[in-house]
Amino acid sequence: MVPDALAGFARVHADLVVHDEAAGFFRARHPAPGRRVAIVSGGGSGHEPLHLGFLGAGMLDAVCPGQLMASPHNRQVFDASRAVSRGAGVLHLVKNYTGDRINFGIAAERLAHEGIDCARVLIDDDLASDSSESATGRRGTGAAVLVEKVLGAAADTGLGLRELADIGTELVSRCRSLAVASAAHRTPATGRSAFDLAEGDLEWGVGIHGERARRTESRPALDELVTRMTEELLAALDPAAGDSVIALVNGLGGVTRLELYGVARQLAARLDRCGPVLERVLVGDFVTALDMRGFSLTLMRADPETVKWFDAPAHTPSWPR
Amino acid sequence: MRRFAASVRATEAELTALDQRVGDGDFGTNLRSGLDASVRALDRAGPVSPAAAGRAGGPLRTVATVFLDGVGGTSGPLFGLLLTELALAAVGPVLDVAALRAGLTGGLAAVQRVGEARPGDKTLVDALYPACEALRVCPEQVGSRVALAHASRAAWEGVRLTARLRARRGRASYVGERGRGVPDPGAVGVGLLLSSAGGVVTGLPPSVTDAAPRRPD
Repeated sequence: MVPDALAGFARVHADLVVHDEAAGFFRARHPAPGRRVAIVSGGGSGHEPLHLGFLGAGMLDAVCPGQLMASPHNRQVFDASRAVSRGAGVLHLVKNYTGDRINFGIAAERLAHEGIDCARVLIDDDLASDSSESATGRRGTGAAVLVEKVLGAAADTGLGLRELADIGTELVSRCRSLAVASAAHRTPATGRSAFDLAEGDLEWGVGIHGERARRTESRPALDELVTRMTEELLAALDPAAGDSVIALVNGLGGVTRLELYGVARQLAARLDRCGPVLERVLVGDFVTALDMRGFSLTLMRADPETVKWFDAPAHTPSWPR
Repeated sequence: MRRFAASVRATEAELTALDQRVGDGDFGTNLRSGLDASVRALDRAGPVSPAAAGRAGGPLRTVATVFLDGVGGTSGPLFGLLLTELALAAVGPVLDVAALRAGLTGGLAAVQRVGEARPGDKTLVDALYPACEALRVCPEQVGSRVALAHASRAAWEGVRLTARLRARRGRASYVGERGRGVPDPGAVGVGLLLSSAGGVVTGLPPSVTDAAPRRPD
């Protein structure tokens, strides 16, 4: 399933991407000319359009897709990074999952042996996995697409590796996400639901790999649900007076745009009442979990420069603006 | 490396049984397939002159690349990192005590940079760390054969201790308390590597060194 989909993606977007099938990575056909540092990301398949859809001028230079919900191999990351390195270093954008961390980490060690400077921005925005008892830390989810966009625009201004890594780390610290689902995705191999949920129940705090959430509860009305999610995100982000935010209303693969716009309305209503100014909102499927029936909200605290970078043009298969 | 391959072949079933109890059961197979591929790569490369043994493209580098590129899972590529650092430290034809110490310590540092495990987390670090400590206090004059004996004894002691631990990193962390009583398969792999290396302590392929063992002392 995954190799066919990758070949299809390469064929459909041949004007924008180049597929190195043997090495297992994609690179941008027309990267922005001002960029010095190459940005490489990747992760398990099944989260489309992440990351492949954001490959191209203004966003990513190379993407390493793994198997279904499995980390890419370190060799893919190593080969991709070497292929797109322009001599000023390579920045890895890594979602916080053990497999991704280790494979990108091994690739970074190998790049160092070849004299290629490499830095990492670890994306760990998921509020539901925020626990002092866990050594693994918060999962990386919806913030990935916002960080890829903003950092891509920053890289196009010609910034160096350390500056970009610092900006990226700071950006991540300003992002939090929370996801809910009313039904799990279907496991493609069996066609069966990854987990069962009773009618009228809700998983509060799901990830993007079909793992169950920490809590199951009865599903509240949409306005109450979105308000509660927004309150939790704001409490974690603690925006100062006068701060603004960029929001992502993200479908996990099995909900309609109609429903997502309904969610966006409730989010905006909550922020308009008393909260930071909602500067920009993205609505759609960006970071999916196959066909999971659910959605996530991501908030990023934003200053004028962040908004400017968010608005900068990007030419990729899936960036919508 | 050939001895390592042989010892893993001999213990593959046990390694797999261990990994079935604490992980996903593929460690023995991964390690064995990596070593089989390494032996084939060494065979293809043919005999190596003493002068070329420690260079890039030398036997240790060949094996390290096989592990980094070709072995699945997480611990396979981590062994690749360890072997890479050993290869980088092996600048001469002979792995003397200083090169062993630098290689293993560099390997431990690389594995920890990537995997972030600390001693006590129940990972291969629990065998590698005590081996490095043993080499750190080992005087140069004893020679690498004796030094490796110390290192491998310390590693196996570390392996035994992992059985008492509850895993905090890696796949085994998911089984929690149920993993107590089972030594960590990755740590066993390090133990096997060091005790296999104990017989042959140069950077040369064993087929050459077995015929004419070079004793650095």
